[in-house]
Amino acid sequence: MNAHVTPNSPGPVSLTIVPPFARFSLRIAAASVEAASKAFGLELPVKIGQGQAKDGRAAWCLGPDEWLLHAVETETVQIMEAFARFRPETPHSLTLISDREITIAMEGARAAELLSVACPIDLARIHPGMAKRTVFDSAQVVLLRDGPDHFRLEVWRSFFPHVHELLQIANRELASGY
Amino acid sequence: MTSFRVKDRGRVKADRPVRFSFDGVAYEGCEGDTVASALLANGVHLMGRGFKYHRPRGPVTAGSEEPNALIGTSRGVGRFEPNTRATVQEIYQGLTTESQNKWPSLKFDVGAINDRLYMLFSAGFYYKTFMWPRSFWDKVYEPFIRRAAGLGKAPVDVDPDHYASRYLYCDVLIVGAGPSGLAAALAAAQTGVNVVVVDEHAEMGGSLLSEPSVGINGKAAWDWLEATLDELGRLPNVRLMTRTTAIGYYHQNMIALCQKLTDHLAELPTDAPRERMWRVRAKQVVLGQGAIERPLVFDGNDRPGVMLASAAQTYLNRYGVKVGNRPVILTSHDSAWYAAFDLADAGAKVGAIVDTRNDIQAALMQQAKARGIETLTGHTATATSGRLRVKSVRVNPVRGGRVGKARTIDCDALLMSGGWTPSLHLFSHTKGSLHWDAEENVYLPGQQTEECHIAGAGRGLWGIAAVLEDGVKAGTAAVRALGHSCDAVRFDVSDDRTGNGVTHKELATDRSPGRAKAFIDFQNDVTAKDIRLAVREGMRSIEHVKRYTTNGMATDQGKMSNMNGLMIASDALQKEAPQVGLTTFRPPYTPTTFGTFAGYHKGSHFELTRKTPIDSWAEEHGAAFEPVALWRRAWYFPKAGETMHMAVSRECKATRESIGIFDASTLGKIEVSGPDAVEFMNRMYTNPWTKLAPGRCRYGLLLGEDGFIRDDGVIGRMRDDLFHVTTTTGGAARVLNMMEDYLQTEWPDLKVWLTSTTEEWATIALNGPNARKLLAPLVEGVDISADAFPHMSVAECTVAGFSSRLFRISFTGELGFEVNVPARHGRALWKKLMQAGRQYDICPYGTETMHVLRAEKGYIIIGQDTDGTVTPQDAGIGWAIGKAKPDFVGKRSLSRPDIVARDRKHLVGLLTDDPKIVLEEGAQIVTDPNQPLPMKMIGHVTSSYWSEALGRSIAMALVAGGHEKMDQTLYIPMPGHTVAAKVTGTVFYDPAGERLKVE
Amino acid sequence: MLLIHCPYCDDTLPELEFAYAGEAHIARPSDPSELSDEEWRDFLFIRSNARGVHAERWRHIHGCARYFNALRDTVSDKFLRTYKAGEPRPDTSVQEAVK
Repeated sequence: MNAHVTPNSPGPVSLTIVPPFARFSLRIAAASVEAASKAFGLELPVKIGQGQAKDGRAAWCLGPDEWLLHAVETETVQIMEAFARFRPETPHSLTLISDREITIAMEGARAAELLSVACPIDLARIHPGMAKRTVFDSAQVVLLRDGPDHFRLEVWRSFFPHVHELLQIANRELASGY
Repeated sequence: MTSFRVKDRGRVKADRPVRFSFDGVAYEGCEGDTVASALLANGVHLMGRGFKYHRPRGPVTAGSEEPNALIGTSRGVGRFEPNTRATVQEIYQGLTTESQNKWPSLKFDVGAINDRLYMLFSAGFYYKTFMWPRSFWDKVYEPFIRRAAGLGKAPVDVDPDHYASRYLYCDVLIVGAGPSGLAAALAAAQTGVNVVVVDEHAEMGGSLLSEPSVGINGKAAWDWLEATLDELGRLPNVRLMTRTTAIGYYHQNMIALCQKLTDHLAELPTDAPRERMWRVRAKQVVLGQGAIERPLVFDGNDRPGVMLASAAQTYLNRYGVKVGNRPVILTSHDSAWYAAFDLADAGAKVGAIVDTRNDIQAALMQQAKARGIETLTGHTATATSGRLRVKSVRVNPVRGGRVGKARTIDCDALLMSGGWTPSLHLFSHTKGSLHWDAEENVYLPGQQTEECHIAGAGRGLWGIAAVLEDGVKAGTAAVRALGHSCDAVRFDVSDDRTGNGVTHKELATDRSPGRAKAFIDFQNDVTAKDIRLAVREGMRSIEHVKRYTTNGMATDQGKMSNMNGLMIASDALQKEAPQVGLTTFRPPYTPTTFGTFAGYHKGSHFELTRKTPIDSWAEEHGAAFEPVALWRRAWYFPKAGETMHMAVSRECKATRESIGIFDASTLGKIEVSGPDAVEFMNRMYTNPWTKLAPGRCRYGLLLGEDGFIRDDGVIGRMRDDLFHVTTTTGGAARVLNMMEDYLQTEWPDLKVWLTSTTEEWATIALNGPNARKLLAPLVEGVDISADAFPHMSVAECTVAGFSSRLFRISFTGELGFEVNVPARHGRALWKKLMQAGRQYDICPYGTETMHVLRAEKGYIIIGQDTDGTVTPQDAGIGWAIGKAKPDFVGKRSLSRPDIVARDRKHLVGLLTDDPKIVLEEGAQIVTDPNQPLPMKMIGHVTSSYWSEALGRSIAMALVAGGHEKMDQTLYIPMPGHTVAAKVTGTVFYDPAGERLKVE
Repeated sequence: MLLIHCPYCDDTLPELEFAYAGEAHIARPSDPSELSDEEWRDFLFIRSNARGVHAERWRHIHGCARYFNALRDTVSDKFLRTYKAGEPRPDTSVQEAVK
């Protein structure tokens, strides 16, 4: 679901914009998480930062009662209906945010170094499969780590031009060797 | 020109000449030289002028603490930098440099007249001289001070360079790659932890670079150094960073580093940053910053050619430059004796070693004798001579406190050492306490507040062996604290130059101390006499002395001057040094460019700018933009030849007469969801929500707990358990934060969740009598006829094929709709609406027209017509309060005595007597324009526009007791004239609201 | 820049992810209408402004988004500990002893 479409920027790290997919913010009491796992067809992780993925669906725990859900876009309505069905007995909030963020995929041996130009957290502690809401040069972002050299950065749409441009500047800087 | 380059000495590459210029004269140096070493190799000592007296000055040091040799460097447009230390700047082919603080030339400077007027420029002269008469301030004193103040020329062109930043986490950060730092690195690195070693110099090695004669583990110092750096460099867990200064030490082991990347390169590589700021978080820090030599304080200690003995040693051993052919050494510490020996061995004729002490180690005396150097112990220096270069020094024996007969020794360099000051600047940034060592007259590190270890000369140790051993100890302690054990690292050191010394206040003299120009702060021209005068005039704390005399306020931040200043102040006060204090060292450790701090934040990246999905369309269509919070919003859409006034009038007219289209995507949107959503809304907003049916919306007013208006917006009920809340553009984050606060901390029992959807939706507002006609054919899934979809309705439907949340609302007084579609479709929908609206001459409008249209209707803008002290009653929107509700945020405050007082400022309308005059927003209002100054101001204009619909100006204002001043005339005094205006209600246009009812 | 321990994430993270939110343990009265003007004024405006250990609120706004409480020494700027919203203020005498 995360095929890359835009041409690579000059620089050691490939920066691509991920095409649209279904994205939800799920808010539900931790005690009721099982019902949500059932509806989503994926066991939701319960520790903040942890992620889970299977069959094109993925979930990351971002807060004590908050999950970020990803799925194929064509399944949007189906997922909303599955959640709506159990809302009466298990209150929760499922908000469609597919368009709220733009996702930038980064791949390359120096991807973590590229992020470190403006991301203040210790990236070595974000292991593959994890997600973390944090900041990138004063813009709030969600950082997903897919592998040692593969990250995704979810950025609010209006912040995207700033973040993307800065990543490109920094990528060229890495290429300069200084 | 004589060359002072010494064959086979130094680390510079003699076979690689580098040409550069200084004050227009071409010079040749070698690769590896600094500007200072290259000029000294050419026999040039004169590199600058003093700040106050314009006395000729040369370099005193060979490092970043240099107070005198400040130069301007340039390499093309925008790349001029003032106040660069010649002792730090490396030369490259084509480097252009110039001296500062002189006119017309460095050798003949008119400003040196100040030196003759010495008595006028004593401590505190700014405070004393420029006191009276008062009338002299504007015309005489201030211009004079401004001309005299400042060091170097400020650059005027835009800096074309790129600056970078980086975050870094590591286990052990080692600051200073001298012997102690390198020993610490060797100890720590073997455990496999991540080690970062930084050094401000172009190459690592610290004092070893200036002391090649010492042997370590059977190797010559430089061979050992090379092998060690090679070993460390090959370890994957070690990062070595040169030209990198630790400029600040902050909480929890965060250290800021400034890395200089291109200032030493002849060619600037593409895309390379000039400097990079590193924000390092280290689990453990080792500070191996070494010590800085103290100057001696005596008359004429500032002439070019007078420098620190250690600097001469560095110039000789590291750069292969003899600072003079006939040097004299003046010292109170053993270390300077070695400078004499090294210079003698390099062929200099050392005139004498003058030591203030009576008893000197026999070994030193012997070595001096062996070289045929005269030694004068128990002596003081009382004067020097020479205008642009020192020519002689006057020395006298001191016996039993009495200064004996003077003798003059010729010299071309005077090398002084007043002992050593441990460099504890970074440690002081941590607020670690300092401990006064009364024996050595130095401050040493005391109580620590951070996870740091200080090693080597930084804690008063002397000699390579002791310092290496101490480095190992610090490195071992650092990794032990991280739970690792490491093998002992041992060093076998030969030919170590150990020693000790004493420190002084100003040296004893047989002349009048009041006439001595014995400098303490070379850059700011502060003398010993100034310090004593400050004490006599009542300064008691060193902090006061500093500010009164400016001692230690130069760009070296007192590295040279603090301790000498303190010794003299403590003597003058007859108090121990710790009781006089020590001024606080603050970051940055050395002068740092603004670029380093700014990093990527310049040009289009100066600040984060948020753009809507429709922003690109507005840009393509020539919109003028204005910043609103972090957003940039289309302000108005001028057509060719239109002024702003013309464009806005046209946009207003088109909207009122047919239809206007507006990008409202920046409005904050919050999804309030859950079974207790309505209860939550009832508690947060002033309005009642229980009876609002799904499919309907309502104006919501949000107060702070203090009763003042915080935000507003239209809120739609989508389902029983779901509200679509809108907020102001600037208030979105604040409102969500406030809602989360109440939800999480006051009412955690409520089953409600909040999600920001500001950016999920693109929002397009259509306003005007033709709005429905345009929209209806595009809408599917809901009947939007006047009866089926009345004002303040909301529905989920599709618009032009895009799934949508459609509101019928109006912020203009016209028939209005707001279409929300998923953000990615915002631009496509906008284009479709523009296309479909062609038949109605649809007009895109910006924020200015939006403001005019809403003002004509008296709708408030939060933050413009309110300022955080305005209640709903003040604003005339008391109707939005659900009076029957038992409680909501801010309700209790609405009955506080101050809030119900009658003389509060109320929001009213203002109509100028002359309808053509548009008042200035922010203008002050008075009741009687003829009252004496200062007038009593009773309010101010908050909003003011030309209303095209009314053919006149309109305004809103906050006026004390305004609601009771209806129809009264008030006055707005402006420069040169006064405007009269009548108080009115705030609804200027269509007060009955008929225009909303268009069929 | 401080490092702050978020009791919900159980992680210690840069201050940039957090926002300060005023003094802690000032609960909104359940029925404000019962308070006198003076009592309500005190609730609104009067704060302890401690020199030393201060109980205060922070929000992990760019992280898990939770509000939590912290004890911080306003002199040294050091956090003594952080704890979840709703938990009682820890005994600071114990904290002092630990120091």
